[in-house]
Amino acid sequence: MPDPEKRFAEEWRDAAYNCFSSGHKFCREVCPVMQVTRNESWSPTAFHANVVAMEQGSLEVSDVAADYVNCTGCGACELRCPNSLFTGDFYRFRTRTVDLVKGVRSLAVRQGVHQPGWQRWNELTAERTHEPVADGVSQERVRDWAQGLDLTVGGETILFVDCEAAFYRPSVPRSVARVLELAGYKFGLMNEQWCCGGPAAEMGYEDQARRFAEHNLADWRAAGVRRVLVLDPHDYITFTEDYPKYFGESFDIEVVLVVELLAALIREGRLVPHLPVERTVTYHDPCRLNKRKGIWQEPREVLRAIPGLTFHDVDRVSQWSYCSGAGGGLAVEKPELTAKISEMRMGKAAELGVDTLVTACPWAERPLTAAGEARSIGVVDLHELLAESLGVAP
Amino acid sequence: MTVTLGDPVVEELRGILGHDHVLTGKADRLNRTRVPAPFPVHRWAERMPDLVVLPSSTEEVAEVLRLAHAHRIPVVPRDGGTGLTDGAVPLRGGIVVDVKRINQIKEIDLENRTCTVGTGINALKLNEVLSRHGLLYPDDPASYPCSLVGGRIGTSGWSLIGSRYGHTRDLVLSFDHVLPTGRVIHVGDGIGRKITKSSSGYQLKHLFMGHQGTLGIATEATLKLFPKPEAEFSPFWAFDDYDTAYRTVGQLARAGVATFAGAVLFDEWKVAYLRRDDEAYIPQPASVKALVCAALYGYEDEVRAGGGRLMRIARSMGARYLGDEISQGDWAARHDRYATPLHGRTRSGQVVPMSWHCEDAAINYTNLPAVRLAWHEIADRLRRASDVFDDWGMFAYTNGATGADYLTEIDIGIWEQRLDDAAWAAWVAAKRDLAAVALAHGGSISACHGSCREGEVDLVPEELGGGFDVMLAIKRAIDPHNIMNPGKYLLDRAYSDAYPDPDGAP
Repeated sequence: MPDPEKRFAEEWRDAAYNCFSSGHKFCREVCPVMQVTRNESWSPTAFHANVVAMEQGSLEVSDVAADYVNCTGCGACELRCPNSLFTGDFYRFRTRTVDLVKGVRSLAVRQGVHQPGWQRWNELTAERTHEPVADGVSQERVRDWAQGLDLTVGGETILFVDCEAAFYRPSVPRSVARVLELAGYKFGLMNEQWCCGGPAAEMGYEDQARRFAEHNLADWRAAGVRRVLVLDPHDYITFTEDYPKYFGESFDIEVVLVVELLAALIREGRLVPHLPVERTVTYHDPCRLNKRKGIWQEPREVLRAIPGLTFHDVDRVSQWSYCSGAGGGLAVEKPELTAKISEMRMGKAAELGVDTLVTACPWAERPLTAAGEARSIGVVDLHELLAESLGVAP
Repeated sequence: MTVTLGDPVVEELRGILGHDHVLTGKADRLNRTRVPAPFPVHRWAERMPDLVVLPSSTEEVAEVLRLAHAHRIPVVPRDGGTGLTDGAVPLRGGIVVDVKRINQIKEIDLENRTCTVGTGINALKLNEVLSRHGLLYPDDPASYPCSLVGGRIGTSGWSLIGSRYGHTRDLVLSFDHVLPTGRVIHVGDGIGRKITKSSSGYQLKHLFMGHQGTLGIATEATLKLFPKPEAEFSPFWAFDDYDTAYRTVGQLARAGVATFAGAVLFDEWKVAYLRRDDEAYIPQPASVKALVCAALYGYEDEVRAGGGRLMRIARSMGARYLGDEISQGDWAARHDRYATPLHGRTRSGQVVPMSWHCEDAAINYTNLPAVRLAWHEIADRLRRASDVFDDWGMFAYTNGATGADYLTEIDIGIWEQRLDDAAWAAWVAAKRDLAAVALAHGGSISACHGSCREGEVDLVPEELGGGFDVMLAIKRAIDPHNIMNPGKYLLDRAYSDAYPDPDGAP
């Protein structure tokens, strides 16, 4: 076995055996990929079992790298894992399938095993310092979304806008900016904003991810930034999990999730949604908020503050099995699978008899909107909905 | 002997199923051999199939079996792969037929209260849909979140609330079954379908349940449904000694309360294990040596009345009720707790990754105490011999409301990273000994998991007597070329020279 694989198998050995030993596969029916493909090779437990097989010399990373594409990084498997549910603190062990998948992907890239879609995506991202989410994406256009809003650059607090929102859904950051201004909350724009590097890290291109992170942090530091506002759940994960890993204790930037901030501003009475929005809605929990960060109450607080809405919620545990399919680079490498997962998610919304699915994740919005068309269910961003009710829609 | 599949067969299969649904990759095959049963992980590669197919219909399964029958290729069905017997593990290579894609809900009949589903569906997922109609499919194994209906049929599984609703064999009314030749039959009571009781013909439904994939593959099943219970009551009681707990569980079961769904008895080894290694276990005073829980399901008014009666019985026996919070929490955790014990300890107390393995038997109530002691002695022998093994105690579960017989299981921790041929041999010998104890006490080797694993399978002919010869005759008649899950249940004997004379001579 090549050395890097050996080291990898050693690092993940106990975790892999813990999953292997547990035997039951409670993760399976909540895994979005598994739900639509029913292919056990792509189940979270198989991702661990493969490590046992690697250790035994039965598999090499080139045998399995393509299997590890089939994960959206939603984290449902970790929540549903009895190992995480019960034994976490006692043994200081928690099942970390999402990290394992990232680890295998990065091992594959280090070994020169590439997935064609991901390789192209990361080359383009490196070239443009932004992900190729729309035609003509470039560094010069990174702040186009803020045109006419009269926002300053820099300051103690800045708003970080992800590639998908900045280029593909500019009305989302515009809504956020206008709502924050209405509340009198001071913030600026980033000086030279590169991709956060999170997607590169998820696809296994670790060096690129780190390079982007280093650029962004240096840029923040040079501008005296102390606090970064984040509207995209994926960025939130990157800044709160990846960046501290890269920079250790020297990472001294406060990361604030916009949805949490908005809920607080509503609670304090600094924002009072008053224009009725007559829609029957349900809410799609972004995986990286609900499942990976335990943030599910604040988006609902925001929704419940909007007059006119009829809100049909489902219980949070059921939502562990929901996903848009857009995360973890799946949409880049296997768009047909993302579409199936979005269709399944939209089917759950349709069962509730709603006309609108509210999201809080720019990345989820694109495939969910496509899936919604077939069922005449509209998809609306939570921040935009709030802006509408506050009378500041962009 | 391992059959190596030639390319023409692979191409034919691709023609039947489409390119994407015939898997030949190493990881695809390795991951279709894994079950939570005791598994010689150091010899994992020996259990690999040659390929895996993912059919989406009864017709596709039938075509695969016709092809396998023509080419004499071993076939092993795989559903959830959560079985605790080796049913889903290929011993001779060949084709694994993974039915997970056959998971559609074909019909929900609200008037006759049945539903018809593809066997690749799971009870949890099915109940998510049924609950919208106020209905429940009450098959509740420990593996409820991930086992599949087809696997429940193939193993004739046990339900934790079976005393109230029946076990899989009672809940499955009928099913499409693909014979090893590729012929599709429908079996149930008589005509099957939605009929719950018939006296026509042989009782074929039972023949095609619990065969561990040796007689074919179930693909579409009609299931019995119940009103979704309005109320659940699940009291837990603590005891200072096993004997009082044992007598109490007997009294509870024999009380004949209609909403009684089951009782579970935890012995002192189990309590010690939970106290030691289960973070979710709520600490109890050291005086607590055994636990009993009961579960009741039904309408609010009947559950309250039945629960009151069981509470009075338990109190009169000296039980200490652990309170609503602990009771509800522990019962709600019944599925997760099964897969929890991923660590055990060496004799010196070092925490090491261990897997959970349970050996079960059906034992009459009166023999439970004796079997328990004999089983712990066997576990103790294993533990003295090697740090690979840990004794995690015993559970006993009521079978029916009469309290006559119990599923009793001993849970053994196995340190799989240290498994080698010697440890594996010790384990197989121990399983044989555990099975022998069950038989010596008038029990059955298995109440729920099946008994076709290495070790205990050796005693199956002894348990069944002349019935085993009938099993051999049936196997040979239905599967003339021994393609279905060959090597299991000692059924190869049906094809050997030593096969019993069909005229019945000994």
